[in-house]
Amino acid sequence: MSKSLPRASGYFRTSYADELPLVQTTLQRLSLKAVLLALLVFPFFATSFQLDLACQVFLAAIGALSLMLLTGYAGQVSLGHAGLIAAGAFTAGILAKELNAPFWVTIPAAAVVGALLGVVFGLPSLRLRGLYLAVSTLALHFVVVYLGGEYETKRGYSTGIVVDPPKLGGFELIDGRLWYFVMLAFAVGTLLICLNLLRGRTGRAWRAIHSHETVAEALGIGIAGYKLLAFVVSSALTAVAGALFAYYRGFVSVEAFSLFLSIQYVAMVIIGGMGSLLGAILGAVFVTLFPYAIENGMRLLPGAEKLAGAVFAVNYAAFGLVMVLFLVFEPQGLVGIWKRLQSYFVLWPFKHRPLASGRR
Amino acid sequence: MADLAVENLALRFGGLTVLDGVSLSVEPGELYALIGPNGAGKTSVFNCISGLYRGEGRIRFRDRDLNGLAPHVIARLGISRTFQHGELFGGMSVLDNLLVGRHARMETRPWAEALFTRGVRRAEVEHREAAERVLDFVELQRYRHTPVSGLPFGIQKLVGFARALAMEPALLLLDEPSAGLSRDEREDLARFILRIKHELGLAMIWIEHDMQMVADLADRLHVLDYGRSLAVGVPETVLEDPKVIAAYLGAQHAR
Repeated sequence: MSKSLPRASGYFRTSYADELPLVQTTLQRLSLKAVLLALLVFPFFATSFQLDLACQVFLAAIGALSLMLLTGYAGQVSLGHAGLIAAGAFTAGILAKELNAPFWVTIPAAAVVGALLGVVFGLPSLRLRGLYLAVSTLALHFVVVYLGGEYETKRGYSTGIVVDPPKLGGFELIDGRLWYFVMLAFAVGTLLICLNLLRGRTGRAWRAIHSHETVAEALGIGIAGYKLLAFVVSSALTAVAGALFAYYRGFVSVEAFSLFLSIQYVAMVIIGGMGSLLGAILGAVFVTLFPYAIENGMRLLPGAEKLAGAVFAVNYAAFGLVMVLFLVFEPQGLVGIWKRLQSYFVLWPFKHRPLASGRR
Repeated sequence: MADLAVENLALRFGGLTVLDGVSLSVEPGELYALIGPNGAGKTSVFNCISGLYRGEGRIRFRDRDLNGLAPHVIARLGISRTFQHGELFGGMSVLDNLLVGRHARMETRPWAEALFTRGVRRAEVEHREAAERVLDFVELQRYRHTPVSGLPFGIQKLVGFARALAMEPALLLLDEPSAGLSRDEREDLARFILRIKHELGLAMIWIEHDMQMVADLADRLHVLDYGRSLAVGVPETVLEDPKVIAAYLGAQHAR
């Protein structure tokens, strides 16, 4: 492990290997420790409602990170992420119900199903771009939801499949606090996979394809393979989130996977900030907590009882409004705000970075 | 034996004939300039060689037939190129742009990268060293971590040049590397081109409008006009050719 440096100082690395670690500066190391500590301590002070919120955020973060990989880095638009979550959830649900398969079988199985679906719905990306690609991925959503619905009605689970809580080493995973740690582990694992892929050859190839497809091809990058790989990785991770969702809720039903869910994931990526993993996480936190914030806000208004019926409508409207405001005023998303704040403090009393400066 | 041999290359878009029976052969270590008026088809020749366009005719590179190969396969054979307008990967740093150029030389696998194994670490360092050698060569070390979109145009062109060089190609296609550069930057570029020729011994095909540079540096000239070859030969004779003067250089240039 290399020695860490203070952030705004000169550049004192002495080997290229020293630049590989993800944590580079003392400040980064300290803040990482603080965040980890906070995350580990949080469940011991939180109410069960807060634990539930945290688990939802972790689930959303897994989905948002994988969508960010696909859209923010590889540049492939997808509106099919709700479909992939549904695919993961149904895979876990059906395997658990029909074959009584344990947790450690259903989760990898969901990843495999997700990866296969990724190949299928990645294929149009070899020919289509932008909006056209988005529409073709939309088809995936409807296919998966249709198949799920068919399974439910044919097998007589018309209201949904009940999934028993998973067993980890002999005892059942019901406790909210335990779930919190499981979800946290999966979210951190996803983040690490994303970070590692992005700092290596694959991530560079994805970003190159995103900015200039023909140039990337002329430099020796097999476009088709890397586009499909982006879809496969993203879909597999998302399907795992779906499987976790199925176990967490203990219940799988097609109603949960509406098109609105896909829109929410796209919103997380946009509101968080395109092309940033931190953005995906911030977006996941924001979009997940936003409806609860609105609900609480409305409770504070005078005549709250009368407004209770309107909470849903207000939620939708406010969500739309926030999306528009972000697109117009902060296209870089939450991460843009974060970066501005960061450079303000790092550079104070100056305003601008020098042209050729160190790593940022 | 020529490094690259193009025989009777023809390219048509509908009724428009872009290239019509162009033949050229580049010897190992040769600096081969491709000149001609705008729209003569110079860049189209490059696009055919690197597989972005599919022309008729034969293109051979060191006994390999390039016809029908995908662009990334051709690049892997060791043919690297720059682009007229830089075409860099804007959001990425100079170093990352160069490492993308080394993509074809790296062999790490995605699943190993996801875990960032020891092997991946070693490969990253090893290719970083190679990229740094190129940065040294073009004297861009101080910009290594700067996102390229913020750099001045002249530096950006140089980064595009370095990215092509980072692949360690056997043949380098330079598409107007000096366009938009200042006098000083052109002189640097000329120096780099000469160093590549003498130190690395790379064969280069070089599209250029700066006749003084071409006359001074190139081993042979190939003049294109409306998709046809007008003249091929050493600079002294080609630049005196009345057909070339009429089609491209203009009477003023005649000595």
